[in-house]
Amino acid sequence: MKRLVLGYNPYLCSMRLTAKPSNFLFIFLFTFPFSELIAQETKVFVAQVLDVTNSSPLPGASVYWENDVSSGVVSEIDGTFQIGIKTLPARLVVSFIGFETSIRVITSKDFDKPQRFFLKPEDLSLDEIIIQETNPDQSVRNMETGKATVPIATIKNIPALFGEVDLLRSLQLLPGVQTAGEGTTGLFVRGGSADQNLVQLDGAPIYNPSHFFGFFSVFNPDALDQVELYKGNMPASFGGRLSALIDVSLREGNNEQIHGEGGIGTISSRLTLDGPLFSEKSTFVISGRRTYADMFLKLSSDPDINNNKLNFHDLSGKLSFKLSERDKLTVSSYQGSDFLGLDDEFGLGWTNWISSAQWSRNISDKLFFDLDGYHSMYNYSVEFDDPDNGFEWKNNLSESGMKGIWTFLKSDALQTYWGFQSQFYHFAPIRLVPSVDSNIDPLATSPKNGVLNSLFAGMTNEITPKLSTEVGLRWGFFNQVGKGVDYLYEGGVLDPASSIIDSVNYKSFENIKFYQGLEPRVAFRYLFNDEFSVKAAYNRNFQYVQIASNSSAGLPIDRWILAGTYVPPIRADQISLGLFRNFDNNRWEFSVEGYYKDFKNIIDLRNGAQILFTDKIETEILKGNGWAYGTEFMLRKNVGKTTGWLAYTWSRSWRKTPGVSEGLKYNPRYDRPHDLTLVLNHEFSPSWSAGLTFIYTTGQAVSFPIGLYDVDLQSVPLYSKYRNEDRFPDYHRMDASVTWKNADKGRKWKGSWNFSIYNLYGRKNPFAYEFREIYNDNIKYSRAEDGPIVTSRQGVVMTYLFTFLPSITYNFQF
Amino acid sequence: MKRICIILLAVASFSCQEEVNLPLGTIDSPVPVIEAIWSDRPFYNEVKITLAQNYLDNSEIDVVKDAQVFIINTRSKEVIPFRFDQGNLSYIPVETTKRAEIGESYQLFIQWKDNQFTSSGEMLAPPIVDSLTYKYEKERLFRDEGYYIKVYGKIPYQENNYYRIRVIENDTLKNDRDDYLLFDDTFGLTFFENGLELNYDFAEGDKVRLELYRLNKEPYNYFTQLVSLLYNDGGLFSPPPQNPDTNIEVISGSSDVLGYFSVASILTESVAIEGKDD
Repeated sequence: MKRLVLGYNPYLCSMRLTAKPSNFLFIFLFTFPFSELIAQETKVFVAQVLDVTNSSPLPGASVYWENDVSSGVVSEIDGTFQIGIKTLPARLVVSFIGFETSIRVITSKDFDKPQRFFLKPEDLSLDEIIIQETNPDQSVRNMETGKATVPIATIKNIPALFGEVDLLRSLQLLPGVQTAGEGTTGLFVRGGSADQNLVQLDGAPIYNPSHFFGFFSVFNPDALDQVELYKGNMPASFGGRLSALIDVSLREGNNEQIHGEGGIGTISSRLTLDGPLFSEKSTFVISGRRTYADMFLKLSSDPDINNNKLNFHDLSGKLSFKLSERDKLTVSSYQGSDFLGLDDEFGLGWTNWISSAQWSRNISDKLFFDLDGYHSMYNYSVEFDDPDNGFEWKNNLSESGMKGIWTFLKSDALQTYWGFQSQFYHFAPIRLVPSVDSNIDPLATSPKNGVLNSLFAGMTNEITPKLSTEVGLRWGFFNQVGKGVDYLYEGGVLDPASSIIDSVNYKSFENIKFYQGLEPRVAFRYLFNDEFSVKAAYNRNFQYVQIASNSSAGLPIDRWILAGTYVPPIRADQISLGLFRNFDNNRWEFSVEGYYKDFKNIIDLRNGAQILFTDKIETEILKGNGWAYGTEFMLRKNVGKTTGWLAYTWSRSWRKTPGVSEGLKYNPRYDRPHDLTLVLNHEFSPSWSAGLTFIYTTGQAVSFPIGLYDVDLQSVPLYSKYRNEDRFPDYHRMDASVTWKNADKGRKWKGSWNFSIYNLYGRKNPFAYEFREIYNDNIKYSRAEDGPIVTSRQGVVMTYLFTFLPSITYNFQF
Repeated sequence: MKRICIILLAVASFSCQEEVNLPLGTIDSPVPVIEAIWSDRPFYNEVKITLAQNYLDNSEIDVVKDAQVFIINTRSKEVIPFRFDQGNLSYIPVETTKRAEIGESYQLFIQWKDNQFTSSGEMLAPPIVDSLTYKYEKERLFRDEGYYIKVYGKIPYQENNYYRIRVIENDTLKNDRDDYLLFDDTFGLTFFENGLELNYDFAEGDKVRLELYRLNKEPYNYFTQLVSLLYNDGGLFSPPPQNPDTNIEVISGSSDVLGYFSVASILTESVAIEGKDD
C-alpha cells in the first residue's frame, strides 16, 4: 500500500529524487518495513496545498482530520503533506492564515490519483481592501464629499432583477441617487437628469449605458474591478458633466495562470477568462455576456414567433503590459449591442463600442505621469423592409479624447496634480435612406462637431494634522466647429414658426461658436478626532453636450446636441457640507451630507416638439434654470458577518423654464423627497449567505388630468397648466436572495447557486397611469374580440411591472 | 400585426394592468372648448362650443348655446354671422351657402358671457387628387391582409404643406386615435405622387370615402399634439402630458379656452371595393 501511495504522488517523488541517494536508500530501507507493518491498519493520505489564484505551493498549512485534531500535520515547503488515517471516509480540514479553510470528505477513491487542495484567499478582493482593510477610517479622513464606492463583491450580493447583477441599479440604492421608475437603470443624482452623468469605462465615456431600453446596464460585473460614484465634489481632473461621475474600471488579469468565472442565469449567461499573456509581465482578461430571450423564441413552432430576434450582448477585454519597472500600459475595449428584429422586415439595433489605452509612468518616486487615449462610439439603426415605404434610419456619434495628468507627491502632506484633456465630438448626420422603390424622400440633418480642450490643476494640502484642503481649477475651452450649418431666424426669434432668413455653412474645423468656462473646485476637511470629521466643498461644472428630450427614461434614439450658437453650455454650482463619524473601531460609518445645487441654461422641449429629424432643433428647445437641495443620511457597516447600509435622503429638485408651467417653478418627474434604502447581507456560514434590500421612496412627480372634454370626436383629458403637481403613490419594494456555495473541497472549480426574488411581497408599484375610455367595463376591450361597444366611461388604468419575480443563477469559478 | 403583438407581449409579459381610483383635481371654473371649421364646403362649416367637465363626470358634455359667433373676411371685411342650430348642437352660418374662398383670410370672433375669443386662418388651395386605386395585399409586418387603397395626386406647393385625411368606411367615420392620418413635407411629397396608401384593410363590397384637408400650420400642430396626447400613457417614455396648443386667443375675460379654428380646403373622393383586382 505504501508503494502505491508513493507511485501516485509526483510531488513527493520529486522531492525525494532530488535528495541524496543515500538518504533515499535510508528512507526506503527503514521506513518501508514499518509502513508495511502499520499499513494493515493505517493508510497514509498524501496531497499538496496550493494557492488557487496562482497555483503556488502553500507551505505551513495546517492539515488534520476533523474528528482527530491531534493528528494534524503541516504542509512542506512545496505544499505537500502526508497524514495517516485509519477509517474512511473522513473529513480532512486544510487551513492557512489568510485563506479560506477547505474541508473535504476523503474516501478510498481519493487514494487512486494525485490530490491537490486549492485554497482561496479569504474573500477580500482589491476593491474591498480599499474600503475595509487599508483605510477603514477613510470616510472620516479623506477629502471627498459626495463620493461613494461600492465594492463589486457587494454589488454581486444585492438581490437583482431577473438575477442579473446590475451595477447602475445597485448605485440607485445609495443616498442622493434617484431612479426614474420601476426597472430602469437611469440615475438621477442630486437633482440632475440622467444625461448629466458621465459614465465612463476605463476613462472612455459610454453614451448609452443600458440594454433592453434601460432595464439592464451594460456592465458585466465579472469584468469589473471597481466603481466610484462622485455626486458632490469631483477632482479637477474630471469634468464635462454636471451631476455625477460614474467611474468604472475593468479589472486586470492575473499573471500566474488562466482563471475563469461566469454564471448561467435566467435570461443571460456570462464568462470571463483572465491570466498571463506571453509572460508574467503581461496579462489579459476577456469577458462576454449574452441574453437568450430569442433562443426561447426559436423554440416556438409558430413562425410568427420564431422568426423574431430579441437579444443583447457584451464583450470586453483588457490587456496589461509591464513595459519596465517604471512603465505600464493597459489597453481595453468594450463592445455591446442590442437588437430587436421582427421577422426579417423590421430591425432596431444599437451599439456602444469604446476603446482606451492608458500609459502610466513613474518618472521618479514622487512624480508620476498618466496618459489616457480613448475613442467612444455609439450608433443606432432602424430598418424597415417594405416595398412602398422601406427605409434605413441611422445615426452615429463619437467622442475621441486624450488626457495627460502629472501627479507630484511633494510630501505626505502636500500632493499636487496638473494636466490637460482634449475631446473631439462628432455627431454624424441623422440619415433616413429610403430603400429602392420607396416613396419616402431621403433625409439628412447636418453634422455637429465640437472640440473641448481643458486644462486642470489641483492640490491636496494637509495644513495641520486636523485641517486639510483640496483646491482645484479646471478651465474648459469649447468650440463648436464645422463642418456644419447655422440658420439665421427672422427677428432672431427661435420658434418653430420663425422663418429662416439665411444660413451659414462652415468648413471642416471652422469655428462656429466658442465658449470658455472656469470650474473651481474647493474642499475642506477638519478632523475633530480619529473618528469624527466635518467636510465642506464647492464645485462648478460646465457641460457642453446633452440630450434633447423631455421624457424621463432614455431611448436608444435619443438626440444628443452640442452647445452652439443658440444652445449655451449648461452650468451647475454645488455647495455641500458633511459630518462623518465612525463608531466601534471603524466598524460602523455614519455620515450626514447636505447640498445645494444651482443649474443654469438647462433645456426642456416645446409642446409637441419634433426633434428627431429636424435640422433646426434650436427652435424646439426651451431654456431655463433649476435648483436642488437635500440632506443625505447614511449608516454603513462594511465588516463582519452582517454588512450593508441604511440610507435616507430628503431632497427636492426644481425647474423654472419660460414656456413651461406658466413660467413658474415645477418639479421634474424624478423629484422624490423621501428616499429610504436598506441593504443587508449576512453570511450564515461559509456555504450560506443571504441578501435583502428594501426601498421606500415618494412617488414620482407627474401630471394627472383635472378634467375631460370632447374635441374632434375624441374624449380628451384636460391637464392643468402647471406641470407635475400630482404624485404617484409611494413606491416601496423588498428583494431577497439566498446564495449557497458548495463546501470548499480545495478543488479549482467552485460553484454557487443564487436564488433571488424581486418584489418579495408583490407590491403593485405603478409604472404608468393611462387616462382613457373604458368600453364595456373591460380595460382590455378589443373591438375584434369583444363585439360592439355597449357602455363607455372614463377610467384610470394602472400598469405595473414585476410582482414577485423569482430567478435563479448558477455562478462558478475555476 | 399578430407577430408584433406577440413580441410586444413577450417584452411586456411581466406587466399587468388594472383599473384604479386616483384622487384627481377638479375644474374650478368653466372652460369652453371651441371647434371651428371654415372650409370651401358649406356642409362642413360649423362652430361647436362645449364645456370641459371633471374627469370622472360621466354625464353628457354641456353645450354652450348662448354665444355670439361670426367670421370676418379680413380683406373684404364681410361679416358672416352664425346661429345656433339645435339639431347639430353647433353654430352654423345664417346663410348656409356661405363658404371660404381660396386665397382669402378669415377671422373668427366668439363672445360668450364676459369672454371674447378670436382666431384667424388663411384659405389655401387644395392639392390635386388624380385617382383612387385599390389592391388586395397579403399580410405584412405592420398590416393585415385585405384591400388597400392608394391615393394618387400631386401637391404643387413649396410651403404650407399640412394635410389630413379622414376616411369614411360605409358611412362610418374612422375616428379612433390610430385613425389620424396627418402628413407634411418632412419626408418629401413624392409618396403622394407615387400613391399614398391608406393604412386600412378593406373588404369586398366596402364603400370608402376620403376627405383630404389642406390645413394651416397651427391646426395641423394642434392635431399632431392631440394624437400625441391621446397616445401618452403617462409612463417614463412619454413626455409630460400637455393640452394641445390652441390657436384661439382670449381677447377679454378670465376664461381659459381649448380647441382650434381650422380654415381648410377639402377634397372628397369615393371608391367601392368590387373585386380582387384593381
